[in-house]
Amino acid sequence: MQTIAANTFLEAVRQRFFNTVLTIAVALVLGAGFFQQFNFGASELKFVTDFGFGAIFFFGAILAITAMTQLFFSEIENRTALTLLAKPVYRLEFLVGKFLGAHCLIGVFCLLISTVLWGVLYWREGALMASFPDSFPDGRTLAYGEVFLFGFVQWLKFGIIAAIALFIASFSNTNLYTVVVSFFVLVICQLQYIARDAYADIANPMLAALVWFLSLLFPNFQIFNLGDRMVVPGSEPALTAATYGGILCFSLIYTVLFLLLALVNFRRKEI
Amino acid sequence: MLNRFQAKHPFIRRIQTIFICLAGLSVTGLVVRPIEAPVWQTVKSGQPELNLGELEGAVGQGVLIGVLGGFRAIFADLLWIQTNHYWQQKDQPKTETMIQLVTQLDPRPDFFWINGARMTAYDIPNWRIRALGGYQTVPKSVQNEIDYEQAMRGIELIQRAREFHPKNPRMVLEIAQIYNNRLKDTENAAKWFGKAAAMEGAPHFAARIHAELLRRLDRTEEAYQYLKAHHADLPDPESIAAQIALERIRDMEDELRVPALRRYLPTRTYRTLEFF
Repeated sequence: MQTIAANTFLEAVRQRFFNTVLTIAVALVLGAGFFQQFNFGASELKFVTDFGFGAIFFFGAILAITAMTQLFFSEIENRTALTLLAKPVYRLEFLVGKFLGAHCLIGVFCLLISTVLWGVLYWREGALMASFPDSFPDGRTLAYGEVFLFGFVQWLKFGIIAAIALFIASFSNTNLYTVVVSFFVLVICQLQYIARDAYADIANPMLAALVWFLSLLFPNFQIFNLGDRMVVPGSEPALTAATYGGILCFSLIYTVLFLLLALVNFRRKEI
Repeated sequence: MLNRFQAKHPFIRRIQTIFICLAGLSVTGLVVRPIEAPVWQTVKSGQPELNLGELEGAVGQGVLIGVLGGFRAIFADLLWIQTNHYWQQKDQPKTETMIQLVTQLDPRPDFFWINGARMTAYDIPNWRIRALGGYQTVPKSVQNEIDYEQAMRGIELIQRAREFHPKNPRMVLEIAQIYNNRLKDTENAAKWFGKAAAMEGAPHFAARIHAELLRRLDRTEEAYQYLKAHHADLPDPESIAAQIALERIRDMEDELRVPALRRYLPTRTYRTLEFF
């Protein structure tokens, strides 16, 4: 399994797609200072933070779905999966190996973007402190460690997304279908909270039961939406360890579930 | 034979797989809910855009947060520049559409809401009246109708903003200003200035204008009592805000012919004695 994961990771790192996405994301975060001149709303540091978080979130989701799908189907299309599964390798090991390779790749992405964002924020806050020392009587105001914490939380979410892509790939026949359906599922998971809120207000018991059942089928991805509460101090209280712990448990449970469901399909798949 | 059929027929196998997947997802959904619920409450409480009652707005915000995340700000900013371009061209439909789009895209900055409401309530009526032939040609009743319609649209926009900024007194003040400056509706303006003044972080002038509008409504006694209470709550009696409030109190005392011994003295000791 470790060998499959390591090979998947190396294969993914060499892919042009990963390098392109990474380069665009890094360039955008580095260029956040330029885009700041269009900003009408928040403070500069808040804007740069939002922008960096946006880059992690947006490109990370694309990478999680596309890389996972490509890595899975490349094995099927190149017939290397046949050679691999002819050896004493369980199908579960194959799937988990593929997943871990892709997840490590996304981890590298999150770490790199978080580091670049940390650097940009540190530099900008330093420049602002030099220009407006009176506005920073207590020194630096940003919680820099939370940049990496946000990257970690998003990495957990990308783990679920990659597992969902693998689950869809396990019963689909084409790369494109898997990518498109995975993006649809991602959007549904982002909107799951609305179904749950609606369920509380529906008077018809049959309809309420249906909406409640549907809300159970998709994980609520809005719980990863912590960016507004992190790094830049605001009026809202800081997030507690219990919140992060809950997110960690949630992510692990759903990642394992989707991997097992992928196995249910993949066990019967003719390669 | 039935067992063999069940084991081999692709349709049965597919149904079995679907059932296993649905069962797995729903059972996990139930198991995870106690872990997820407190986290979701924490996340939700910090983001008004996740608490919208209106389904259309909630779906829009969910998709935007889900798809664009932190990039919402830059998209909204770029569209705001475009909004200003249409505003300079006095293009009513495009300006109003862009205001809706920008505020939908990123409802967090109050800048978009307040400036959008000002464009809608103050500028667009002039464009519409000019387009109909100008102030000399258009009958006064039509002008008033246009003013009222646009002012209400501006207020509607700010009312939507209040869902995202429930604690921001600037939103309430903006409604009060529209009633006061655009509609000359003193009754409603007084009500909204009063609401704004009661909010945390509201500027002191909100309370003074509330009192002044009550006075214009011939409710001077009410305005006097209100301004005395407001003055007593001001943290610094030497501040300019306190001095202006005291001047107004004195004016009202003259108007109400309050006897010298019953006049307001801005000290806590006196207020206590007055109580006894």
